[in-house]
Order: sequence, then structure tokens, then C-alpha cells
Amino acid sequence: MKRSSEKTNQPIAPIDEPKRDFLKLILSGGFVAWAASVVYPVLMYLKPPHQAEVVVSTVKAGKLSELEKDSGKIIKFGTKPVILIRTGTGEVRAFSATCTHLDCTVQYKKDLGLIWCACHNGRYDLNGRNVAGPPPRPLNEYKVVVQGDEIAVHKV
Amino acid sequence: MDGMKRIRTILFWAGVALLLLSAANAEDKCLACHSQMGDKPSKMFLGDVHNKKGITCAGCHGGNSNTDEVEEAMNSKKGYLGVPSGDAISQACANCHSNASRMVKEYQSDLTRKQLELLTGSVHGKLSTTGKERIVQCTTCHNAHGIVSATNPASPVYPLNVTKTCAKCHANATFMRQYNPALSIDQMEKYRTSVHGKKNAQGDAKVAACASCHGSHDIRSVADVKSKVYATNLPATCGKCHANAGYMKEYKIPSDQVKKFTSSVHGKALLEKNDLGAPSCNDCHGNHGAVPPGVESISKVCGTCHALNADLFSASPHKKAFDTRRLPECETCHGNHEIVSAPSELLGVSSDAVCARCHSETKNTKGYAVAKSMRQLVDSLEHEELHVNALVDDAQQRGIEMGEAEFKLRDVRQSRLESRTMVHSFSGEKMKEVIDKGLGVSSVVAAEVNLAVEDFYFRRWGLGVATLIISILAGSLYLMIRRIERAQAASSDIE
Amino acid sequence: MKSLWKRGYEWIGERVQLDELIEFMGKKYVPVHRHSIWYYFGGVSLFLFIIQVVTGILLLMYYKSGEELAFESIQFIMSKVQFGWLIRSVHSWAANLFVLAAMIHMFSVFFERSYRKPREMTWVTGMFMFFLALGFGFSGYLLPWNELAYFATKVGTDIAGVVPGVGKTIMEFLRGGEEVTGATLSRFFGLHVAVLPGIFTVFLSIHLVLVQLQGMTHPMEHEGGPRYEVKKMPFFPNFVLRDLLLWLIVLNVIAILAVFFPWELGRKADPFAPAPAGIRPEWYFLFMFQTLKYIPAQVWFIDGEVLGIMLFGVGGLLWLLVPFWDQKSSRGEKNRLINYVGLGVVGYIIALSILGWTA
Repeated sequence: MKRSSEKTNQPIAPIDEPKRDFLKLILSGGFVAWAASVVYPVLMYLKPPHQAEVVVSTVKAGKLSELEKDSGKIIKFGTKPVILIRTGTGEVRAFSATCTHLDCTVQYKKDLGLIWCACHNGRYDLNGRNVAGPPPRPLNEYKVVVQGDEIAVHKV
Repeated sequence: MDGMKRIRTILFWAGVALLLLSAANAEDKCLACHSQMGDKPSKMFLGDVHNKKGITCAGCHGGNSNTDEVEEAMNSKKGYLGVPSGDAISQACANCHSNASRMVKEYQSDLTRKQLELLTGSVHGKLSTTGKERIVQCTTCHNAHGIVSATNPASPVYPLNVTKTCAKCHANATFMRQYNPALSIDQMEKYRTSVHGKKNAQGDAKVAACASCHGSHDIRSVADVKSKVYATNLPATCGKCHANAGYMKEYKIPSDQVKKFTSSVHGKALLEKNDLGAPSCNDCHGNHGAVPPGVESISKVCGTCHALNADLFSASPHKKAFDTRRLPECETCHGNHEIVSAPSELLGVSSDAVCARCHSETKNTKGYAVAKSMRQLVDSLEHEELHVNALVDDAQQRGIEMGEAEFKLRDVRQSRLESRTMVHSFSGEKMKEVIDKGLGVSSVVAAEVNLAVEDFYFRRWGLGVATLIISILAGSLYLMIRRIERAQAASSDIE
Repeated sequence: MKSLWKRGYEWIGERVQLDELIEFMGKKYVPVHRHSIWYYFGGVSLFLFIIQVVTGILLLMYYKSGEELAFESIQFIMSKVQFGWLIRSVHSWAANLFVLAAMIHMFSVFFERSYRKPREMTWVTGMFMFFLALGFGFSGYLLPWNELAYFATKVGTDIAGVVPGVGKTIMEFLRGGEEVTGATLSRFFGLHVAVLPGIFTVFLSIHLVLVQLQGMTHPMEHEGGPRYEVKKMPFFPNFVLRDLLLWLIVLNVIAILAVFFPWELGRKADPFAPAPAGIRPEWYFLFMFQTLKYIPAQVWFIDGEVLGIMLFGVGGLLWLLVPFWDQKSSRGEKNRLINYVGLGVVGYIIALSILGWTA
């Protein structure tokens, strides 16, 4: 279609037909490519990763100044009980509080200086090792990090 | 008149003498009477240290020792206790021996006053099978009537006699079965085979006897953390004599064992980390039958814990080589008390390697080649391990998640540790097998890390691609805008 | 053969008055002059807000609120979710750029006096959106539950508590208790993803409708004098296409920032640890934070912090109400005061932000 000025009837420089298509092609192609470069990461993001969700690994366990030397207390780690021990020399340790015999909850016995299970008199030393009674295995240890006055227990 | 005066003086002094004599006799009328009866306890009491200090029978039995009238002397309403039994015995002793004003003020004794307290808390202080009294009373070990100081060779608790005293119960199977069926009763027998026991039998009162290690009143079960022979307390107990250079001088053995042990890897584990898996003195030397292990049996003793190493060693060419040369097996390379974690430098053919002591390019050459190759293999694995760990650290610094890789790295570490055990096979092929496994895992991890790092760079590449696309799109959009506006300008020109 | 577009247009046209709308839109134009460039910043702010909504919704898929999991869930997003690092860094960078663009937009409108009659409500709704944007920033900052965020929130809510009378109530309401705890995190999360977006959308809709209905302001020099034809360009397609072009470039800039300057996570918040050295709020709060530091503890009988808060409160209110007290501009008269006030405010903000940053 040839354009011409209505007033003067002079032909105006023709618009390059191929260029229009080319530009429109690039524009539409570019738009599609751009849309893909946005949609692709979003779709990959929404695809569930191998490990479906995040897992609890750390729990705060109270203040160091509130945990007396030569004493122990039970804390909750996610859904499991953990026994927190402070030895006579001031060191803080944490173990699973589920007895390896029949799953009772253990406690710290000051007169024994050991971790003790009330159900069947099972005993563990302060390294979690089963030293007397029916427990067949030691208690799992948790990592303890003391920062300032705060005790944090981590799964190992 | 002078004569009268003299007679009065004599009579006076005679009266005094009589009074004193009767007073002296009045000191222990019980003893006097009972001795006449031929009473054995009375006879023994004559040699008793309490008698010598002026304590009468009434001192323990109660009653009145100033009269020989039975109704007066042995009147229970007037404090006579009779023959005390059960815990009353030790209480009778404690009435003085735990009493500071008696012991210090009256008798100027510097003996401890804690005996009954300690005894009550000790393993002997537990209830006996009757349920009514403690297992052990003071008289069980010290006797009742012929008590002498523990430093007196006649005392049943004198070092040369104490073994017999303890054995009265502890070597009696029937008796011990009532209380602790699992406890052995051959301590005395074993003791007699030991260096301590032999010397003790020959009359040396300096060497260790039962009480030297176990304590006297405060004896606790071996499993009790507070016991003198509990694993972590034992080095100090042995060290009481063995670390005392002056005390040990006449025996001509070194006195630095405890010091060396404390700084050794076993000592650190036992004493600093409270690891009861680590050996205390008795684990290698025995307790009652203590003798340093013989040359050929050292690997067996170390092997009670280091089983794998011992087995490999026993099957290796070194076993025969060492035994024929009377070389103490494990000790030759690792030492005895001062054992530290073996560094890689110990292996190989360089001057600080222990292999070089026997193997060289000209002597024992087969072993020389094996030593050299083993060292090279170990070095290569160590190097690889360091390298791959550095790769992982580096990736972590870039923020790349390395949990899986770290998990796999445990296998590399495991391989390295296994190789340290495999050294004891002194076989090049076996070593290579273990090392190759570690090297394999290491290269897998390195590949994974490189993949992860590549992802990191992929982001930059991805950005480049996205930028390119956007640039093209933006560029074409810009051109489109320009065209539209030119068209608009043109059409408005036309109007 | 009608194209798909035309068919769609007709289908809708039979149900809604499309023709009038299209005609109205076609008549919209944008003045072209040496200050036109500032017109784009409203759109850029809008674009950045859209990016925030999209990336925010994506983050919602994996973020877990709550003390035990918030930090770890972001770690999870950064390391285990594909392109999670990208979504999160984009969200954090775009948040800051959003506040920056909004500020530029606000100040350019101020200096142009575009708030004058008949656009007073456009200014007011815009100001509310700006305050909400600051609220978005403050609440969103806490969500990773890291050290910096914890202490910044502590300090920030402490300051809120200083307001006389209602201050303590406000502070406890914000914190969900007396201290900053998991309860605070829950509240801020609710605020950030539900309450603030809802309110913001209302104001945004009003603002956009007003802009569409009233069109872009002309600069003041063009009015009052001889009424000559102002150069203009059609809103559709010219201004829109130019806007889109700018948005593309902004998108690219954000992508570059996300790749080369990934947003940090730091350490998990530890209420019992001492505050790390150099604790300070995000840059857009810095100038207020620094000002409070300079005010002496006691001025007259008034507590220094209270005075500071009150001054900012009054200042903010005056700023909000500028269309109503700047009558001169509404009449089309020059008002140099506005220039001085504006420059003063901008200068003050810049100066104190720099001081706060380098302190």
C-alpha cells in the first residue's frame, strides 16, 4: 500500500515492509524469550526440591547461670526429650533423654554423679555410655554450644 | 618427840603408797579379776595400746572398773554394756576415736577421727546379710583386745599382715558369695605372683599391700567414682609410691611413669576426657598380679583394645623378627607409658622414621621398599584429603550448600584412619587397597564440588543470557517506540 | 477473518462499555518537557511493588514463620530450592529499590507541586502508601529472624514505645508482648503478608484511578502565562511502551544485583547474645535513627527521645498536609518556600543518612 500525502499528493518515503515484519518478529520473539526466562525459574522454584522441607536442628536451652553445677534438667528438642547436664567442673553436655532399654525418660542423680533411669535402675555415665543395668546402648549425644549465658543444643 | 614425828611421816607416806597402790589396782579391777580367771581377751589386752594408755575394760564395755563386786562392776543399769555386738562395737570405738576432745586434748593423738564416718560410707559399711548391722566392724580388722598401732609389726593391718586379714573374708568363697558372687576371691593368690606380693612375702613393708591401694576405712567398690582404684584415680594411687623418686630409689626402676602416662594419648583420654575406654595402670599391668608384660606378650596386651593392630602384627613378618631379636613388640615403635598418637613421620625411610632403624637401602631391603611405598601411599591420601576438604570449604565460602559432600568426606577420613591400622600388616598390597578406596571417594567428592561450583558460575552465565534477552527485547521495543512516534510525527505533519 | 484480539474485544464489548473506555484512554496524553522524566517514577514504584507481590507469594511457598524455623527455612530457600537464591535476593533488593523509587517519586511530585488542586487526594493516598511501604520494610526485615533483624526490631519498637501516653501500648501491640519474641515474628508476618498488602491495595487502587481520571499534571511554568500548546505524547501507546522499556531495564538491574550482590542471611537471632557492634536500622530509617542519637537526653522538661519522635510526627503530618497549607501553588502562584522546604528535607535526609552509615 503506497502512502501519499493528501495535500500535496507527493509520495512519502515508503515504509520498509520487510523491516516492519522483522522488527515485529524480533519484538514478539524477544517477548516470548523474556517470558520464558521469567517463567522458567519460577516453575523450577515451585518444583518441590529433594528435601521437601526444612528440618529442626537447633533449640535454645535456657541460661547457663540458671543451670547449677552438678545438676541436670530435661528440655524439649522438637518432639524429643533431651537431658541437659552440667558437670561438677562446669561443663555442659546434652544427651537424648530416652532410655535405650524401654524408652523411659532418664534423669540426673546427684548422689550417684550419673544419669539414671527410674524404670529399671539403668545407669549412664556423664558421657552417655551405658555403665550399669539393662540399657543395651549409650544415649545419643547432642552438641552443646554456650554463647555468653545462653545454652543452645544442636543435633549432631 | 623426833621419833614420833618420823613414825608419823613414814606412816603418812605408807598410807599414801597404799592409797596409790590401791588406786593403781582400782584402775582396772575388771582386768585383774578376769586375768585371774585365765580369760583370753584379758591376756591379749595386756599388750593392747589402749591398756598402755590407761584405758580400762570399762572404757569399751561400760560398767565400773573400780570395783570387783560383780553387781557393781557389771551392772547394766549403771552403764555396763556387756559384749557389744553389731554396730554397737564400732560405736563403742567411735565414742573416743571420733571425739576430738578425747583424742586431742586427753590423749594428744594426731590420729584421724573420721574412721567410722568413712567406714559407714564405704562399701564395707553396707548392711550385712542379717540386715541389722554393717558387714564390717572395727574389730573385724583390728581385733578386739590386742589392738596395736597399724605401724606395729604385730598389728593385723600392718602391711605384712594385712593381706591375711583381708583374705579372711575376701578369699572365702562361701562368705563372698553372700555379698558379691561376681567378685573374684583369688586376689591374694594373684598378689603373691606379683612383684609387690613377692617382696611383701619376703618382709618388705614398703611395697604395696591391700590397704596401700584400696584405702583402709574408705574402701569403695572399684566401680565407684570416688574409689582410690577407680580407673581415673588409679594413676595417682599408683603414683603415690611409683612417682616418688626418693621412695623408689632402692628398687632401681624409673619413677617417671605417671608423668609420662599423663601426657600420653591414653593418659589424656583417661584423665582429661574421662574416657573409661582408655587404659589405666591395671589394664596393662594387671591389678593384684601386677607385673609388666613380657616381651612376647606386649602385642597381646595392647591387643586387648587395639585388636585389629595386634592381629595384623601377629600375622606380619615383624612378629617373628621382633621376637627372635627380643624386641618388645608394640613398644619398640610406640613406647610404653609415653605413647602419643602416631604421626605419619613415624612411617617410611627418612631419618626420623622408626622403620629406618632397621631397614635401609642396603640392609633388610625388602622391608625398606615396603616402608617407602606405604609412606608414599599415606602421604598421597593425606594430600588428597586436604585438597578435597579445601575445595569443600571454598565452595561453602561462596555460599554453596555442602552438606552431602561433607557427609561423603567422612569416608575419606575413615580410609585414612583404616590405613593407619593397615600399616601393621607391613604389606604393600593391603595398604594400597585401603588407600585406593579413600582416593576413590575423594575424587567423587571433588567432582561433586566442582559441579556445585559450576552451578555458582551458571548463575552468572544465566544472568548473561537473561541480560541478552532483555537487551534484545528492550532494543526492539525502543525501535518500535521510535517507529511509532515517527509515524505519529509524520501523520501530524501531514495534517 | 477476524483476528483473535478483535474477536475478544467484541465479545467483551457486548457486555461492558468498552468503546467509551477505549476512546477515553486514547485521549489521555502526557506532557513532554524537561521535567517529564520524573513521570516515570510512579510507574517504576508500581512495577517494583508488583515484583514484591510476585516474589513474596513465591517465598510464601517455602518460608516458615516461627522462631525455630524462620531462619532455617530461608537457609533452605537459599540452598535447596531451585532458583530460591534468586527469588529471595530479588525480593530483598526490590524492597529497597521500591522504597527508593517511592521516595524519588514523592520528592519529584513535591517539587513539581503536583499535589496541588485537584490532586490533593492523590498526594494523600500516595503518602499513606509511603508510610505503608516503610511498614512493609520494617515488618519484612524481621522475618528472616537473623541477628541484625532481631536487634533492629528491638531498637525500632523501643522507639515506638517512647511516644507519650500510648507509646507503651503501641509497643506491646507491635511486639505481641513486652519483649521481641516469636510472638513478634508471628505478628510481623501477619502484618507483612496480609494486613499491609490489603490496606495498600485499597490506597493503590484509589491512587491509580485518580491518576487515570485526572491525568498527569502540567508543570507550573506552563500555566498562568500565555496558554501555548504544550508538547505532549499519547499515554497509549507511547508512554506505556516507554514505561515498559524502563521496567525491563529495572528488572535487569535487579537481576544483576541478585547475582553479584546476593542478599546475606547472617547468623540466627540470639536474644541472649549481646547486640553485635554497629547495629542500625535499614537505610531508609537511618536519618531518623541518627537524629535521635544527636538529641540530648533531656531538653527542657521533655525527654530527648520523646521530643525527637514528636518532631518527626509533626513534620510528617505537615508533609502529609502540604496540599492544604500550600494555597499559593493551588492558585498557580510561585511558592519559593516549597523549594526551600523540599531541599531542606532532602538535604537533611541525605546528610543524616550518610552520618548514620559512617558512624
